[in-house]
Amino acid sequence: MKLSRSLALALLTAVAATTLLSDSKKGAPPTPADSSDTGVLKDLPQVGKKKADESTPEPVKQVPNAPVVPVVRAPRATSPVVAGDPILRAMKDELERTQTMNLAGYSPYYIEYYMEDGHSFNVSASLGAIIGTGVGHSRIPQMRIRVGDYKFDNSNYLYSDYYAGTRYDPETWPIDDDYKAFRRDLWLGSDRTFKTAVEAIARKKAAMQNVNSQNQDIPDFWKGSPVQKILPVKTQPVDQAKWTDRIRDLSKVFEKYPEVLGSQVAFQALQGTRYMENSEGAAIRTPDNVFYIQTRVLGQASDGMTLRDSIVFQALDIDKLPAQADMEKTVTDLGEHIRQLAAAPVGETYSGPVLFEGAAAPQLLAELLGANLNVPRKPISEPGRNYPFYPSDLEGRVGSRILPEFLDVVDDPTQTVYNGVPLFGTYEIDDEGVAAPPLTIVEKGYLKTLLLTRQPVKGFNSSNGRARLPGASGASTATMSNLIVRSSQSVPLADLRKQMMQMCQQRNKPYGIIVRKMDFPSSASVEEVRRIMQGISQSGSASKPVSIPLLAYRVYPNGKEELIRGVRFRALNVRALKDITAVSSETQVFNFLNNLAPFALMGAGGYIAAESVVAPALLFDDLELERPQEDMPKLPVVPPPALTASR
Amino acid sequence: MQSTVFLLAALTAAPAFAQSSPLLEILTQELDRNFSTFKQKADPAPYFMAYSVVDEQTDVIAGRLGTLQAKNHGHSRSLDITVRVGTPKFDNYHIVGGERAQFTSGTPIPIEDNPDAIKRRLWMETDRNYRGASQRLTNLRTSTKVNVAAEDTSDDFSLEPPSVYTEPMKHMTVNAEEWAAKVRKWSGELAKYPGVLSGAVTVLFQNETKYLVTTEGTRLQHGRGFARIVISAQGKASDGMDLSASDTFEAAEATGLPNEVSVIAAVNKVGKDLDALLKAPTVDPFVGPAILSGRASGVFFHEIFGHRVEGHRQRDESDGQTFTKRIDKSVLPDFLSVVFDPTRAKIGDVDLNGTYLYDDEGVKARPVVAVDKGILKTFLMSRSPIKDLPQSNGHGRRQAGAEVVSRQSNLIVESSKMVPEAELRNMLIAEIKRQGKPYGLYFQNISGGFTFTGRRGLQAFKVIPLIVYRIYPDGKPDELVRGVNIVGTPLASFSRIVATSDKPEVFNGYCGAESGNVPVSAVSPAILVSEIEIQRKEKGNDRPPLLLPPFLTGGSE
Repeated sequence: MKLSRSLALALLTAVAATTLLSDSKKGAPPTPADSSDTGVLKDLPQVGKKKADESTPEPVKQVPNAPVVPVVRAPRATSPVVAGDPILRAMKDELERTQTMNLAGYSPYYIEYYMEDGHSFNVSASLGAIIGTGVGHSRIPQMRIRVGDYKFDNSNYLYSDYYAGTRYDPETWPIDDDYKAFRRDLWLGSDRTFKTAVEAIARKKAAMQNVNSQNQDIPDFWKGSPVQKILPVKTQPVDQAKWTDRIRDLSKVFEKYPEVLGSQVAFQALQGTRYMENSEGAAIRTPDNVFYIQTRVLGQASDGMTLRDSIVFQALDIDKLPAQADMEKTVTDLGEHIRQLAAAPVGETYSGPVLFEGAAAPQLLAELLGANLNVPRKPISEPGRNYPFYPSDLEGRVGSRILPEFLDVVDDPTQTVYNGVPLFGTYEIDDEGVAAPPLTIVEKGYLKTLLLTRQPVKGFNSSNGRARLPGASGASTATMSNLIVRSSQSVPLADLRKQMMQMCQQRNKPYGIIVRKMDFPSSASVEEVRRIMQGISQSGSASKPVSIPLLAYRVYPNGKEELIRGVRFRALNVRALKDITAVSSETQVFNFLNNLAPFALMGAGGYIAAESVVAPALLFDDLELERPQEDMPKLPVVPPPALTASR
Repeated sequence: MQSTVFLLAALTAAPAFAQSSPLLEILTQELDRNFSTFKQKADPAPYFMAYSVVDEQTDVIAGRLGTLQAKNHGHSRSLDITVRVGTPKFDNYHIVGGERAQFTSGTPIPIEDNPDAIKRRLWMETDRNYRGASQRLTNLRTSTKVNVAAEDTSDDFSLEPPSVYTEPMKHMTVNAEEWAAKVRKWSGELAKYPGVLSGAVTVLFQNETKYLVTTEGTRLQHGRGFARIVISAQGKASDGMDLSASDTFEAAEATGLPNEVSVIAAVNKVGKDLDALLKAPTVDPFVGPAILSGRASGVFFHEIFGHRVEGHRQRDESDGQTFTKRIDKSVLPDFLSVVFDPTRAKIGDVDLNGTYLYDDEGVKARPVVAVDKGILKTFLMSRSPIKDLPQSNGHGRRQAGAEVVSRQSNLIVESSKMVPEAELRNMLIAEIKRQGKPYGLYFQNISGGFTFTGRRGLQAFKVIPLIVYRIYPDGKPDELVRGVNIVGTPLASFSRIVATSDKPEVFNGYCGAESGNVPVSAVSPAILVSEIEIQRKEKGNDRPPLLLPPFLTGGSE
């Protein structure tokens, strides 16, 4: 789901989050920075003209030996539902015309029109005052055209999405239902997308004269089986005045917490409809709604350490959001956490058993397991051109044991509730028009499959319908839906704690560690995220960094718990999951919005996918915690202003 | 509607009648609390602090080829904080090696006047700014010791009398549905022109209230209304060249915008212009005489002259400093004067875009005669002094989120060698014949331009003409041409102005530079230049759309 730009609210210090972290989705060559440091008198926005990177080679204009692919397709009948919807009808009609395009011997072999219609409402508040509200309606199209054939086409190349010409099709569609206007926009968009494809395949071929890609024996695209799913458009009215009041009221909670130095509550109602048609015959119109309330708080300990906490309430249906009183109670906990953290001791370096309870267990699995189930494919590059690429930690490990043998994992988008708790990652058809079945990911500890899109991965032969976020080089990114961990042997949580204490005793540890909450999705500032990532990579972890624990406790043999602050895991990665010693019989549902940013950083990234993880508490035999050796900011010279409303 | 009281009226209104917003009081209280605590406890302590808030309500309604593209409303407040540590002689804003400091970040603050909520944000942002300020000062103190002495040893901050002024907040109500119907209809006119690949009519309404409190006692609450219609059309010639045509209307409020008949006429003119451009021949590189229309000339002056009299450039050692040492020397023909006048609200019926009462450092606006009868008199000044100009003249400006530098306001070119437009054309033809050129040029409309003032790069400028005609000396009809870029170097261009028309024209726009986008105007009569140099603009490599449009006639179904 496209997150409307204006809705990405910056809190406190996270001002630059969206711009800094959202540029990773396209593989276009960098455009040279505008070097004019002086006056630019602008009267009108110019047509967005990208300048070619000076170092990119001249586009190849003629490809004499390019194969002419015959386009043979059965004529498609227009269903009455498609005919009654101006968007679907425009897509269908323009798709037929686009198939006749021909340039340099190429014609499209695959065309896909995708459009996301989104109504949004957002409101944010702090300490009982509204910071901003916004209402929007936008329609964001995305088109894909492939030339060549399924085996070798214009995708999976570093500059697959790069267009050197002028874009005349608009980035957003009209909000009026105007068939002719949609046709026009599809016409111009198809023209640009087709030209991009022809240029990309020519350049890709040229590049392959000089490089051997490890992926060149794998096809470029998997065939899909056409799905037709036209559901009614479902947009609920949002009572803006009521939600403005509720958010303002919720933000007042922190008037009672002077230790909370900064706070913000933000509500977003995103009601979308996805439209998709492709040249294989898929036709889709499905609702895609998300409602959420993010609360973030910030404090500072007396030694200067920044303290943070956050909570997100979310639902696929606005009426399923928690009652106001329940939200107030949970939000109050954030204030309490900051108060307790401010008084808590700084943790020490630790090596020993660690128990992940409550939200922390599914949070950890979302990061260690969920994110690695997508296996990105390294695109063909130009010789000598290097670019950052992070492969999955699970690449090539299908068939290997990655969890203890008593654990199974399924990813089940068809399930809507778990033990009465609504699941967030439920959907029927992915963004590429592929139906999404339940998948057994891990069976008795062994990795059985990965999450796949229509971008081929070695060892597999078709998509399993997990394309839910945009990817680079003409591909989508696979993400999980509802990732559910099941155990064939478990003990009550209380026994798990006892087990940990016994392990501590055997090893002469004065205390064990319980983690109840991870900073995931993170409410850190961009600056802080950068610092954390740098710190983690310096401390010797080669894998993707894992978020820091927000609520970690020392547990002493007498059962006493002590909150600590300022610790993080050292070299924690997917390999650690093999050494899970035991799990609880109680399970926890954790819902979150994935945006592919590090630690799913709130407010970063332009696209979101709703996901769920269900997991029991996890006891690890041996993990390492360290105390970061970073300098801490000094306390402000001026004390914070008094809070008058609570008096 | 309260906003009927605008600038002209506001200038004469007694401030005492206006009610100050609770925000001004909240800002003052927190400023005082922070400043006095810093004074007692901080080392280095600030000697000056300012809180600036811009409250902005915006409505944008956009139509594209007969359909509604967007209808957005927004209300936000953005906070900018200034903390100066050290002394006015040498503080944390000191420029070293052309490196300018950036402390503020334009933080959003509540739009509701809630003291607790706003004060927390003010305090937190003050702390962040103070840290940046004190750290930079410490760095500077060591850095200037190792660097060679700067040429200009002026102070870093000027002392100015505090300003106290309050006017009512602007409230403009916009009937978005009504405007949506209008932009649909207006933009639909562009669908009649087959060459238009993308065509839009956008209306924008803005109410802006600026608040400023400083530790010197400045207390300001003032604002402006702004309404605008932008018509634009783009297309691609058969050889791949991208072409566009446009027109805009600006006014201080919605009622000042032209009526529907005029807008529709303007939209059709844009459509016709684009169609004609698509069929027009491309230019060849040419050096010869030309007339620049008043609007074109305004942009010409803004780019090649205006940016080079911005005060801070005279001190910036990385800048080309074209005019730095030319005060009291001739820089333009002696029949031309240039005034920057932010107090001027209108020229004829046209509201000027660069009008304000106080600049963004709270200094009262005033007319500044930069060039008097060809002689350079002064520069545009913010509170950042330069050699021999220790005071501001009310041209310190910024967009929310940026640090202030000196910027242009309403640039007005005045001429004592004026002739009627027909006569100016005759003079052009005479000049073409005298030089033995096959034709001259007439620049009717210009979209904007840019200039480089840096020391390393070429001291050049480029303006982007939209509509240019060849004028033939033998009575052959004027011929529209496409692909024109004006090129040249500044000083040479000025000396070639021969005469002007007697009719000033207004170009309203936004100027982007170090301190962000600020609204400006450029006013000038048409000018005749004996020599101008043009080149052909780069042409796109992509061809026009491969398929014909789905419908040959536009419009809605």
